[in-house]
Amino acid sequence: MPKTTLAQAQTDLRRRNKIRSTLGSWAMVFPAILFLCVFTLYPMFNLVQISMYRGNAANAYKKYIGLENYRQLLFVRREFLIALKNTAYYTFIHMFLLIALSVIFAVWLQKDRKINNFAQTAFFVPHLVASVSCAFIWSWIFSTDTSGLMNTVLRAFGLPARNWLGSTSTAMNCVIVMNTWKSIGYYALIILSALKAIPAEIYEAARLDSSSTCKTFFKITLPMLSPQLFMLLITITTGSFKVFDSIRIMTNGGPGTSTQVLCMFIYEFAFNRNNSLGMGAAGGVMLMLILILITLFDFKGLEKKVHYQ
Amino acid sequence: MAEIQFVKVTKAFGSNKVIEDLDLTIQDGKFTVLVGASGCGKTTLLRMIAGIGPATSGHVLMDGKDITDLDPAKRDIAMVFQNYAIYPTMTVKENIEFGLKNRKVPKEEREKLIKEYAAVVGLTDYLDRKPGTLSGGQRQRIALARAMVKKPKVFLMDEPLSNLDAKLRVAMRTELIEMHNRLKTTFIYVTHDQTEAMAMADQIVLMDKGRIMQEASPEVIYHDPNNAFTAQFIGTPPMNILPMGEDKLGFRPERVQLGTQRLEGAPFARKGHILTREMLGSETTYKIQMGDEAIMVKSPDDTFQYDQDVVLSVRADDLYFFDKDGQRIRRGDVSNYDQYIQRAGGNNNA
Repeated sequence: MPKTTLAQAQTDLRRRNKIRSTLGSWAMVFPAILFLCVFTLYPMFNLVQISMYRGNAANAYKKYIGLENYRQLLFVRREFLIALKNTAYYTFIHMFLLIALSVIFAVWLQKDRKINNFAQTAFFVPHLVASVSCAFIWSWIFSTDTSGLMNTVLRAFGLPARNWLGSTSTAMNCVIVMNTWKSIGYYALIILSALKAIPAEIYEAARLDSSSTCKTFFKITLPMLSPQLFMLLITITTGSFKVFDSIRIMTNGGPGTSTQVLCMFIYEFAFNRNNSLGMGAAGGVMLMLILILITLFDFKGLEKKVHYQ
Repeated sequence: MAEIQFVKVTKAFGSNKVIEDLDLTIQDGKFTVLVGASGCGKTTLLRMIAGIGPATSGHVLMDGKDITDLDPAKRDIAMVFQNYAIYPTMTVKENIEFGLKNRKVPKEEREKLIKEYAAVVGLTDYLDRKPGTLSGGQRQRIALARAMVKKPKVFLMDEPLSNLDAKLRVAMRTELIEMHNRLKTTFIYVTHDQTEAMAMADQIVLMDKGRIMQEASPEVIYHDPNNAFTAQFIGTPPMNILPMGEDKLGFRPERVQLGTQRLEGAPFARKGHILTREMLGSETTYKIQMGDEAIMVKSPDDTFQYDQDVVLSVRADDLYFFDKDGQRIRRGDVSNYDQYIQRAGGNNNA
């Protein structure tokens, strides 16, 4: 075979191999991409589209109104801004409580004792219970009936009973308590495993360096937990912004608008009111934007403070 | 500078007694190496001095003062850990500074000390780096600087070189010796490596199963071992020990004269057959079958070949005798020492 044709045959072969490997790669990721397109990207674009129309669940595209829904949302109606304020309050308090308590519980559970193994399981169980069931349990605990646990305890100590879920000042906090109780075992477990990964020698070195318990915790333990704390921060904030089922069961947004949150707003306008599907969709778009912004902010603002091994 | 004294110290983990009624004095200003196989209790002793693994009973004294229950922070000691135990979230500078800050050393003095000791260990250019970006040797230096900057009375080191590669380990070894010569404080160094112990120590404390087998300078421990355990722990390859009736006979691999004929006047002379040969450059190690026993011989002569028949001779001064419990029998211990030498030659066949 002449030299030129041999070289050409080799180039051809190489090209064919390259095409085959490229095709192979795409074939491998295709199912995942298809899934992403059908179940995430398309609904997202669809949501943005619907938010520019007036319509209902049966006919989403009754009338194109441009950005009118957003104008209504942000400048005319008060519901959205109230829901946003409530959600922000819920998220902030919930996140703070959950992270602080998870760390405290994890530190407490760190020592290998029998009681700690039991406590770890006990804290984790609520995470396995459906949140709707949890909400029902706590509705009963906060109930104003004679069966309500909280009020029974208060009365036993001669204190006045309160209308926990029926009062604007306590309703949201009750929901926060319930959701913190439900998630704490799970998050404490994550922190606990990170705590146990810190070598004992580092604490011994700190003792030799005359470090107080408090200083060791803030200067050594916490920084070494930062990757887990950062992960918790992101998942808890994004999760809390989407809170819905527990509030729907415990207070249904009430009393008044005191526990109205963004997802309740979306649900209400999309499915319970006439011709306001677009408004609900606009709320959904806003929620998405807020979450993107918060996550970006977290990453930009805190990433440098997070220590990765 | 300080002298450390253990008085009737016992350490038990649960029902397992690692150390029982141990007495030991570690001399002021010396480089003392605690050496022994893993699990022999050497690290346990070190942790007692540091105060991070208190004794179950007994006392630890520092310059005569009882420090058994004293807080580690108040002991005036510094420790370098096997895995360095550097604070990974802090920069090199913060690592060195942490202990100083905790002891409320004023900022100006801190800066001066950090600058001084960073230069000593060669980390001046890395002060703002995180330990994760540095090599094993550099991390080791952070740990050393962190210990040195406290200007402790006693330096504790728990196998600090075991995580370094062979070349760096030898280099750091000489650096530690220099550091000791410069600081002149008490160094207590734990290792399982007898070469390291021999190379660095002023005084070696050889331990086995929680007991001290011998406590002496490297020269004494090599030339004049108290027992068969010490004789076989120190030296590479270890001392050859052969049965001799009820007792035992020993000689060092490097003290055997290899030849084709018996060495004039050597009381011990046997025929042997070379099983393996390792040419190491300045010397050659042979494994030699000698009757029922295989023994090691180290010789500057590399001309002997695999499968060759040779004659091994050992001079009277190079023979060691041990009783049935492994305790050394010296010339002064028994009146009939010359009979032992004669018995050593009992199976001579060359």
